[in-house]
Amino acid sequence: MPGRRSRAGEFCDDANHAKPLRAETILMSATSTKQTLLNAAVLHWMHDLAAQGIVTTDSDLNVVEWNHWMEEHTGKRASDVIGNNLFELFPELTERRLDQNYKSALEGQIRLLSQALHGYLIAMPAVSGEYGYPQMLQAVRISPLSHEGRIIGTLTIIEDVTERVAREAELQAQIEERSRLLLSEKLARNEAERANRLKDEFLATISHELRNPLNAILGWTHMMQLGKLNDANMERAVETIYRNAKSQSQLIADLLDVSRIISGKLRLEARTVDLINIINAAIDSIRPAADAKGIRLQTMLDPAASSIWGDADRLQQIVWNLLTNAVKFTPQGGRIQVTLQCIDSQVEIVVTDSGVGISKEFLPYVFDRFRQADASTTRKHGGLGLGLSIVRQLVDLHGGSVSVHSEGEGKGATFSILLPVVGVISNENEAEYVHSAPADAIISFEGLPSLQGLKVLVVDDEADTRELIGEVLRECGSEVIISRSAAEALVALEEQKPDILISDLAMPDEDGYTLISKIRALPSERGGQIPAAALTAYARAEDRMRVLRSGFQFHLPKPVDSAELVTVVASLAGRAYERS
Amino acid sequence: MKLTERQRDALSELINIAFARTGAALSDLTGHRVLLSPPAVAVYQTGELRDALAKFVPGDVASIHQVFAGPVAGDALLLLNYEGAVMLTDLLTDEHKPSNYLDESAREVLTEVGNILLNACLGMFGNLLKVHVTFSVPRLHLETLDELLASITTDKTKLHYALVVYTAFQIRDSSVKGFLVIVLSVDSLDRLIQEVDAWEAQQSG
Repeated sequence: MPGRRSRAGEFCDDANHAKPLRAETILMSATSTKQTLLNAAVLHWMHDLAAQGIVTTDSDLNVVEWNHWMEEHTGKRASDVIGNNLFELFPELTERRLDQNYKSALEGQIRLLSQALHGYLIAMPAVSGEYGYPQMLQAVRISPLSHEGRIIGTLTIIEDVTERVAREAELQAQIEERSRLLLSEKLARNEAERANRLKDEFLATISHELRNPLNAILGWTHMMQLGKLNDANMERAVETIYRNAKSQSQLIADLLDVSRIISGKLRLEARTVDLINIINAAIDSIRPAADAKGIRLQTMLDPAASSIWGDADRLQQIVWNLLTNAVKFTPQGGRIQVTLQCIDSQVEIVVTDSGVGISKEFLPYVFDRFRQADASTTRKHGGLGLGLSIVRQLVDLHGGSVSVHSEGEGKGATFSILLPVVGVISNENEAEYVHSAPADAIISFEGLPSLQGLKVLVVDDEADTRELIGEVLRECGSEVIISRSAAEALVALEEQKPDILISDLAMPDEDGYTLISKIRALPSERGGQIPAAALTAYARAEDRMRVLRSGFQFHLPKPVDSAELVTVVASLAGRAYERS
Repeated sequence: MKLTERQRDALSELINIAFARTGAALSDLTGHRVLLSPPAVAVYQTGELRDALAKFVPGDVASIHQVFAGPVAGDALLLLNYEGAVMLTDLLTDEHKPSNYLDESAREVLTEVGNILLNACLGMFGNLLKVHVTFSVPRLHLETLDELLASITTDKTKLHYALVVYTAFQIRDSSVKGFLVIVLSVDSLDRLIQEVDAWEAQQSG
């Protein structure tokens, strides 16, 4: 009968049976021989063959049947068990209150014990240890046995479900693992999408920022080529081109810094440095921009907090970035204050401005890479949004911390940097030379050391660089010899006896390293001891080390700053303090 | 056949007494405080059952079904909606992570809980009526309400009544709602109501 439920008990699935089955129907009502045989077979099956534990008791709960399966799994022989009270044989049943189930059975109720709630009825070792359960997990059914409406005993059937439970747990673990994978995959995808969006925004910003100065450069150079500029405009053109190239160079330097920081290749060249010098140098370089906006720059620098252990260039970059940021976001007539003080074993540099401030929402992201509070195309403030990220990374590398505080939009911002004062070694000889920092105005040649009477040999395979360096050096009064290759340079060295060598490193045929090693192999009368500076776009610390080891005295990173070039040449010639 | 107010109150009270014992048994078993909310009782003709239960179980219904026989005979069922069934087993078995399906162990637990609950209810009837009732082995089924109703109302020729007991398990700040449905023949229900009346009279007298 489809849909009809079985009303059967354990031994029969006869759907038409109107009443629940009673065990004694099988056990006791046999009349015919055939049925007797069948009953004998059932008893044999129960006792010897069943793959479940089968236990029957009388109404006093004395054991009547204890089948082979029970003997095998409990180690108790039927002969030792039969006739004894179940609860005396297994006092644990009473302790675990499972005796209640037998009482219910004697009242005519069927009781099920699930492994999940009870674990087991009678403790037995698990058949196979491979599932890691020391005890057999059991599903148990305790039913009454009745005869003519009178309950005469109980029937207990015990099933080993250890393997099934283990399989379920395994399946559950698989499902969880799968959903965990699914979740982590989803998170990774979200993260990737977010990064991608940031990258897109960044690319949009960078192309805008790089194109802007380029437009000015292209535009003005085109006008110059056409020769339509009068002297006044010519000066303006050159000034504009210079300023824009400078700003682009800064953008690229920022990008390179970031990529170095990302790839973990940024190394500090730490020495004892004078923070006051560094801060003053940074302020000097920012002053023209601040003056142009009528921003007052105030400093309160405590000389006691001056010396720390760090990388002078990077520290200056930190201060310079903070100052640039402050100038950028401070309106006309505003104020920027820089303080330096000692706090316990740390020094604190604080840059406070009266600028546009930072909203609470953006505050946590100030130091994130490529983040700008206003990423819209109509934003007022240019830049890549890398400066502050670089600041944080560099401060981290110094073992310090940087924090920002702002009362909100329009209320100014305060950036504080804490740097540890560690291992400061006072050594006058190591007093740090501070680069003149990138400045927004054209460097004036006034105030630079004179190169009068010096003969400088410049080696570079790129015509533009050669011309530029030659021009700068000539401007400062030196005589310049130009070589296009290492071979040419060696000839010029012997024939013209230059005082100083400036050489590019990456050149076809023979590079700068080969050149300097050949020169250093020469006797001093043939120029073997000529003071030399290397010129290179490889600006990493390890490059610098290699340069110095190979025989150069100085390392000048490209793009070359004119003032730095002149200063280096003068210092190579021992003229650093002579003024023209 | 409708229950009077007094009959319904008396029946609710009787079942409530049985449930209190059952709640205590479940608490002991699981180590969590299990409360069964005071039952609400109603009587329907089996033909009306569908409408009475449809709102509660729109999807699959988990039922623990036991047939009982003796001077009073019929079908006893505990009905839970699928989500409720999963939640109940999770709550009872201390599963840390909520699952969303019923594995074999969960079915075993449900069957055991249904067995305890149905036995408490039917045992109470047996005691009340002073008759001995025997039970079939409980079975767990997952099916739609229509399939379930079709399987308990096979004998269309006889009028059957269903005693519907609405209750809720309160476990660990969660509540799982369920129904106990006891399908009885007219005779059996008559006899039950008479005994309930007698009990009620005895209580108030």
